[in-house]
Amino acid sequence: MSKVYLVYGLIVIGLMGTAQYRGWRLLPVTEGRTVPKSVRDNPGSYRPVYGGFWHFGGGK
Amino acid sequence: MPDGQGRPRVTVRSVNCPNCGAATAVRTFGHAVNVVCQSCRSILDAKEAGVTILQQYKDAVPSEPLIPLGTRGTVPGRQPPFEVVGFQVRQIMVDQVAYQWREYLLFNPYHGFRYLTEYGGHWNVVSTLRSLPDGDHLPGDSGTRTYHGRDYRHFQTATATTIFVLGEFPWQVRVGDQATVVDYVAPPQMLSAEVTADKEVTWSLGDYAMGTDIWAGLSLPGRPPEAVGVFADQPSPYQGVTGRMWRQAALLMALAAIVWLAHLATARQKPEFSQALVYNPQSVQDASLVTPVFELDGRASTVRVETATNLNNQWMGVGYALINDETGQTFEFTQELSYYYGVEDGESWSEGSTANSVTLPSVPPGRYFLRIEPEGERTGKPVSYSVKVIRDVPTSLWFVGALILVVLPPVVTSIRASAFEHRRWQESDSGAGESSSD
Repeated sequence: MSKVYLVYGLIVIGLMGTAQYRGWRLLPVTEGRTVPKSVRDNPGSYRPVYGGFWHFGGGK
Repeated sequence: MPDGQGRPRVTVRSVNCPNCGAATAVRTFGHAVNVVCQSCRSILDAKEAGVTILQQYKDAVPSEPLIPLGTRGTVPGRQPPFEVVGFQVRQIMVDQVAYQWREYLLFNPYHGFRYLTEYGGHWNVVSTLRSLPDGDHLPGDSGTRTYHGRDYRHFQTATATTIFVLGEFPWQVRVGDQATVVDYVAPPQMLSAEVTADKEVTWSLGDYAMGTDIWAGLSLPGRPPEAVGVFADQPSPYQGVTGRMWRQAALLMALAAIVWLAHLATARQKPEFSQALVYNPQSVQDASLVTPVFELDGRASTVRVETATNLNNQWMGVGYALINDETGQTFEFTQELSYYYGVEDGESWSEGSTANSVTLPSVPPGRYFLRIEPEGERTGKPVSYSVKVIRDVPTSLWFVGALILVVLPPVVTSIRASAFEHRRWQESDSGAGESSSD
């Protein structure tokens, strides 16, 4: 039991070290879309996938 | 009659029951005080030359022993072979509920008597003590008793009644006999005292045994009954495991901390790009823009994008796209910022923040630019803001996650060990007290 746990713990720490080194995240950002270079000339033509912002009204 | 080496010769004689006439074998020679007729269950006085009937109980419910009388073999922890010569069922009443257990009397002509007890599929091999535990020869009904340097904790005190007997016994036995039994436990052993009405005390020590070992030693057919619940002296399967796991957990957490600190120490946190910008929400022109191209070097690693503003009782949202200038690969993310403050009822307050950041995972090296699209209240004041890109920033998220995953198994094991002990002690009249499984 405790040997299995020791191996399990070492695997967890190994994954932790790898994740830290590679910069992994549990929640990925939107990625992968290929954007043409023309976006540099006309930034307004780019259509992001995210929606509008929540318009916070402010105040206590 | 002794054999050539002076030891008593093993013989079997029989007695005829005066009640039914059936012949019953007597295996314990001069040791037998009472013999129970295996045919009519009459209890006979075997010490008398002419066998007399001591007790008849026609209404008794027969109880067949799981181990037949006459079975020979070894029992765990007791090397010489023994023969099963007697069997009795005893009962205690707790809260109007009857609990019965079975006792098998074992005999070896050179080693005397031993006992096998069985309750709910749990077995104990029991020997009568030749020396008393420390302290008073009478048992108490609480606390602990020490025997050969080992502490036994009080488990139960009850009045046991004999409700069925079979075979032969080296003591006067009757159905209806009562004795006070006091059990102390130190798994896998049980120290028991039995006190008769005339204050005669017999101490014994039981060793917990697996039913499968009993069956193997006595060459019994089939399988032993399944053990039900947790018995008083049943060894915990977590005995020593939880402590060892916690010690290993401490080592693993220390190792994780070293790996994490090394990660913190080696993260470059290199600023790759920064730019100051102004966003005017009232402008009718498209506010989106792109930054100059900048280099993200090294291996694939994290990138943090920080946004700092001079927001003043207003909000702002910034849509970002980090675009690889060569491949077009894009990472999209947004940041929402708001900062409000004021005074209400003479008390100043504020909420939100003028700065925010997002960390992107595993961004490959290459040449990148940012496409930025700010958004805000149409009637809001112009906002000055800055964007900063930092390469290879450390994160503590994985360290925290690893600590949780490392600690989880010993926590679960400790809970299960505690539950096991709770189940053991909830059967005790000393209460469901805590007892370490280590």
